[in-house]
Amino acid sequence: MKKLAIFFLAVLLTGCVDKEIIDDINIEVAVGYDLLEGSEDTYRGTILFQEFQTDKSVINRTYSGNGLLRKDLILDVSKQTSEPVVTGGLKLAIFGPDISEKGIYDLVDSFQRDASIGARLFILTAEEKAEEVLEGNYGSRGNSTYIYNLIEHNIEHHDIPYTNLHLTMRDFYQKGEDPFFPQIKKISNDKVEVSGISLFQGDKEVDVLPVEKMFFFKLLVDKYSEGNFEVKLPGGDLAAVKSIRSKRKISILDKKTNIKITIRGVIREYTGKTLTQEVIKKIEKGLEKEIERETLKLLKKFQKLEIDPIGLGRMKKTQTRNFDFKKWEDDYKNMDFNVTSDVLIEETGVIE
Amino acid sequence: MKEQTVPDRLKISPFLVFYLIMSMQIGIGVLGYQRIIAMDAGYDAWISILFIGVGIHVIVWMMYKIGETVNGDIVTAHKYLAGSFFGKALSVIFIGYFILYSLTVIRTFIEVIQVWMFPELSTFWFTFGFLLLCVYIIFGGFRTVVGTAFFGVVLPAYLLFTFGWAVKFSNLSNLLPIWDHTIKELLTASYHTSLTFIGFEIILFCYPFIKEPKKSQKWAHLAVLTTTLIYTVLAIITFSYFAEDQLQKQIWATLTMWKIVEMPFVERFEYIGIANWNLIILPNVCISIWIASRLIKRIFNIRQKIGVFFIVGAVLILINFLNTREKINTLNDYIGKMGFAFTFIYIPLLFAAVKIAKKFMQKRKVKKQ
Repeated sequence: MKKLAIFFLAVLLTGCVDKEIIDDINIEVAVGYDLLEGSEDTYRGTILFQEFQTDKSVINRTYSGNGLLRKDLILDVSKQTSEPVVTGGLKLAIFGPDISEKGIYDLVDSFQRDASIGARLFILTAEEKAEEVLEGNYGSRGNSTYIYNLIEHNIEHHDIPYTNLHLTMRDFYQKGEDPFFPQIKKISNDKVEVSGISLFQGDKEVDVLPVEKMFFFKLLVDKYSEGNFEVKLPGGDLAAVKSIRSKRKISILDKKTNIKITIRGVIREYTGKTLTQEVIKKIEKGLEKEIERETLKLLKKFQKLEIDPIGLGRMKKTQTRNFDFKKWEDDYKNMDFNVTSDVLIEETGVIE
Repeated sequence: MKEQTVPDRLKISPFLVFYLIMSMQIGIGVLGYQRIIAMDAGYDAWISILFIGVGIHVIVWMMYKIGETVNGDIVTAHKYLAGSFFGKALSVIFIGYFILYSLTVIRTFIEVIQVWMFPELSTFWFTFGFLLLCVYIIFGGFRTVVGTAFFGVVLPAYLLFTFGWAVKFSNLSNLLPIWDHTIKELLTASYHTSLTFIGFEIILFCYPFIKEPKKSQKWAHLAVLTTTLIYTVLAIITFSYFAEDQLQKQIWATLTMWKIVEMPFVERFEYIGIANWNLIILPNVCISIWIASRLIKRIFNIRQKIGVFFIVGAVLILINFLNTREKINTLNDYIGKMGFAFTFIYIPLLFAAVKIAKKFMQKRKVKKQ
């Protein structure tokens, strides 16, 4: 009897909370923010839904609204959609150029606060308006899935450093470290591409690194990384090198920072005639020089912009008791850098 | 002094003390203790956990000594010291302590459900259903309660592995430099872990129900050691996962770490994790209600079942008044402080008093002879 009562209670209690049936809701999968034209603090937001059709195709649908808070946007959009909007599936947040320059903290903070949003959300910046990016039609699996996968595989195998909502927020809150975001660009109505890395100071965009610099940026920022690079040899021949493993070691002294980058790579392509041991040595030397020159340029640039995407301040803190971040800021401005690199080509492919 | 003895068939095997203590210690505190201890001792706070772990071993040893000396639970010890009337009066306080304890556990867990999953969940009805289950278990007797404690530890144990996802995104160097804080700061943090650690004091109440209590002592120590290690490792993972200022914003850091979990069949792991947490909470509530009702029986000579209904009714009424984060937080704070005062101040005093009283009585005996 008792068991029966409990059973019935369990069945009855299921009615206590709202049901959400997947066909009867709109799942927000991506969101874009721009500054409303002619306005100081109101943003224009765009929400993307992916509607799955019975023939397995996906329709991208965007709705836009204006507001001051993130929820304003959802309220605005709810007035236009036939089903309630839920945020649990959000995978992408794209920020347009003007709002990135103004500061994005308040909006990003709301992602953190929302218990239903995962930590693997990607935050991106766009070269043009975020609304335009979301309004395209990319791939057959929906815009959000397309862009998400684009960024993900570029992180895993190419030149975008590790990033997601959690890592970004960590960089943001960490004293002595600044966040960065991948930047994307809409090329045509059915294509987008990675167009660089947005460098932030606090929550404001200060500069964008072009695509060519991303390989070096990743070498500096990520502890271990993979990536691709092209080396031009003195004779005019080209070689494509893929780095399989790379490691960076940073030691920060009072006035000087030594960075040592070690790369183990393979040659993927070579335009010259034969790839002799001599040529390989040349390629290694050429790449080493290139890395040293380019990373040094990047470091100087960060110094000038007064940003620290690598987290040198954080690293210095871990080595010092009673660390003083104020003093570090001055130290950082006058820091000398010394980059050495060591490239080893392990394999050259299946032919000689 | 004549005490009613517990028949052997109602007693539990010594090794079950391990599960009894662990299930009582791990509850709601573990969901968010990282932030609280990091407030005092920054990222050195994991050392504080080890400190208090050592302290608890001493207290566990004292509790067993008390139990051994008076051969009974805390009520017997009180009677031994202060006589029947005052001994009982002293023990009444602990009925309130355990009612508040169960109230805190249930309300905090409901808050978690409301914030993370279902904001519209009714506090009263969930409590009602949950307590019904508890009453059913408690009516099964102490052995059934310990049975839930066993499952409350073993079944959700797999959750420990889910924090592996966070390791991939963590930075162990966050912990450096080690010992960047003063001893005083570290001890304050130790003090603030009490909400997470309390629960081991139940030995004083369950002592008469343990078969060969001497043998169970090593299991009690092992349980405390295990929880200490779990808390330390979890704190280290949390500290290396979050930046210090970021952690200060996380009310439930343990749950926030689940946001990074990625599985092919589920988008948000928190839903599985929090649902599983029910199993961890269940023995917490059952054991504390059982102890409170047992105390009522011992002190007022009322049937235990009636005591259970009284407690459940009290919890059901009181829980409606706790409706904001602030109130729940205050309650958590209070129960943590009470737990600390009970375990680290009262038990040593009781221990000393019992020891002195015993010496005194022995002397009197010698004199009489």
